[in-house]
Amino acid sequence: MGSVLAASSPSPPPPPSAAGSASPGVTMPPGFGMPPVPPAAPPTGSGAGKEQRAENLLPNPGAFDECHRKCKEVFPMQMEGVRLVVNKGLSNHFQVNHSLLLSTTGDSSYRFGATFVGSKQTGPAEFFPVMVGDMDNSGSLNSQIIHQISSRIRSKVAFQTQQQKFVNWQGDAEFRGEDFTAMVTFGNPDVLAGSGIIITHYLQSITPSLALGGELVYHRRPGEEGSVLSLVGRYTASDFIATLTLGSAGAHASYYHKANEQLQVGVEFEASSRMQDTSASFGYQLDVPKANLQFKGSVDSNWVVGATLEKKLLPLPLSLVLCAFLNHQKNKFQCGFGITIG
Amino acid sequence: MDLIRKHCAHMGSVLALSSNPGHQNWPFSKDPLPSRWDAHPAHWDRPPRWERRDGRLPNPGSFHSLHRSCKDVFPHQIEGVKMIINKTLSSFFKVSHTLHLSAVSPSYYRFHVEHLQSDDYSKDKDAPALIGEMDSSGSLNAHALLHLTERVRARTVFQSQQSQFVTWQFETEYRGSDFTAAVTVANPDILRESVILVAHFLQSVSSGLVLGGELVYHRGRAEEGGILTLAGQYSRPNWVATLNAGKGGAHASYYHRANKQIQVGVEFEASTRTQETTTSFGYQMELPEANMVFRGMINSRCIIGGVLEKRLTPLPATLIMGAFVNHRGDKLQVGLGVNVG
Repeated sequence: MGSVLAASSPSPPPPPSAAGSASPGVTMPPGFGMPPVPPAAPPTGSGAGKEQRAENLLPNPGAFDECHRKCKEVFPMQMEGVRLVVNKGLSNHFQVNHSLLLSTTGDSSYRFGATFVGSKQTGPAEFFPVMVGDMDNSGSLNSQIIHQISSRIRSKVAFQTQQQKFVNWQGDAEFRGEDFTAMVTFGNPDVLAGSGIIITHYLQSITPSLALGGELVYHRRPGEEGSVLSLVGRYTASDFIATLTLGSAGAHASYYHKANEQLQVGVEFEASSRMQDTSASFGYQLDVPKANLQFKGSVDSNWVVGATLEKKLLPLPLSLVLCAFLNHQKNKFQCGFGITIG
Repeated sequence: MDLIRKHCAHMGSVLALSSNPGHQNWPFSKDPLPSRWDAHPAHWDRPPRWERRDGRLPNPGSFHSLHRSCKDVFPHQIEGVKMIINKTLSSFFKVSHTLHLSAVSPSYYRFHVEHLQSDDYSKDKDAPALIGEMDSSGSLNAHALLHLTERVRARTVFQSQQSQFVTWQFETEYRGSDFTAAVTVANPDILRESVILVAHFLQSVSSGLVLGGELVYHRGRAEEGGILTLAGQYSRPNWVATLNAGKGGAHASYYHRANKQIQVGVEFEASTRTQETTTSFGYQMELPEANMVFRGMINSRCIIGGVLEKRLTPLPATLIMGAFVNHRGDKLQVGLGVNVG
């Protein structure tokens, strides 16, 4: 299809979060987040003064969730068992995918997913509304609807069920200004029980490279309520991105570096005050486009070493993924491979 | 009985097939599969029977290789990640390192060394073939093959599980013009007064038919006994049918070469001791243009498996991917392997 955002690629289901739990922000897994929006072009007002032009060159900082995304994408994704994914584009607007997972440790599953992309075009490769849904063989459903309401406001509604029980239902609205982004999310609002989570994000470009912002999470359950505040800072240079998130729930620092066309490196540090532990990971991604190969490796402070190899088997529209993870501390080993068709 | 069971697990006779403790659960047993030391290296058998053109009856080969052509069609158990590096140091000397990372059994590193002539008809017939293998846990496999004369071969096998010796056997084989006779002394133990004696005999009756038998005599301190098994094999250019039948059970196999690319094997095993029967169907598909070999099998124990081997030219490497599913127990085993060199 080629005209749809990352949401069309088969991605792991968003982690189910119980309603009302004090999580510092509902995390969107890669593939289900908003597509990257190109920075707003500076207004071409005729006769604009030099100072005015410098002020207008502050780019939009992007979505709040994307801050750590670039670094996280460098790390390999753990996979086990055998996976077969078949993607089929039925038309310019409609794409369907089947995935069959035979698992060595858990249950095997079959998942059917469909993606619909509308015809309202807002950018070179972005069409709205986008509706993504997939259904499990046990009846678990994941669905998302993303729509651009106006030129600056984008909204999303997402539902997730575990078999027949709804575990996640949320709606959010994002406003992209000239040099800032603000978003409000309502997570699992339950009027009858009087519980819910409200998350507000704000990210502001201070200089063309520096973006600062914050996140405020307010959660409420019958009997208790609380809020968590965290601050975010991101520095972007031509070949690296450094991000830091600090809050009462913990700290998360990540550094992404693009060494050259083929090698990208990421370092991540996470500390959680709730679980009282920290972890540091180092990951790298090696692209060899001539061999249609992509290799990702990671080393962790939990003594976990892992690697993923992805190779496109041209001329067939096949992609082969091999993955192995070894936990030295617990002496556990996991390997898996998958084939993606289409 | 325990003694003969343990020994026969490495012997490959009818008893062995059902007496291997991991076999019931194959390919899902937790023990690492022991190397098939009962099978001679492939180059030991003379050219296939149906290729003899001088009018005389051909030598039938060794007793252990009766079911070989059918067994080669089936995929081997594969689990976890295995990396094998083969290195040929000279025309006599080969070395191989194996590293196995596994989820269900302990991971190991194995060092394997072979000293043997690379071709069958070399000048130096007296040079013995020596094969040794050592594990990271200390288990040793040692195998020595000697050509005593043109017709007589001797073989010695020692196997140890960490520090304890499991197998020590001595075999002598006489290859006549149209018959093969072999006597094996396995695990002779003077202190415990136990021994297993096995005698094999195979005779070419006609150009396609081979008949023979195996007599196993085992003796322990408190017991002794003998088991007789009769064997017959009929081969044609495209197919081979083999049957072993005796008091311990039966083993029948049928191998068929459909065309240059597809080979098919069907196997039936029955054991009177465990009162179980198993039927397996396997096939092998070769695609030399794609440098690929695929082996698949399906079992009466509801086990389905497939292993794909692909040579990654121009690298001297082979990639092996395989998966086995046991539908009854709902278990899956996945394996990846890379062979270098």
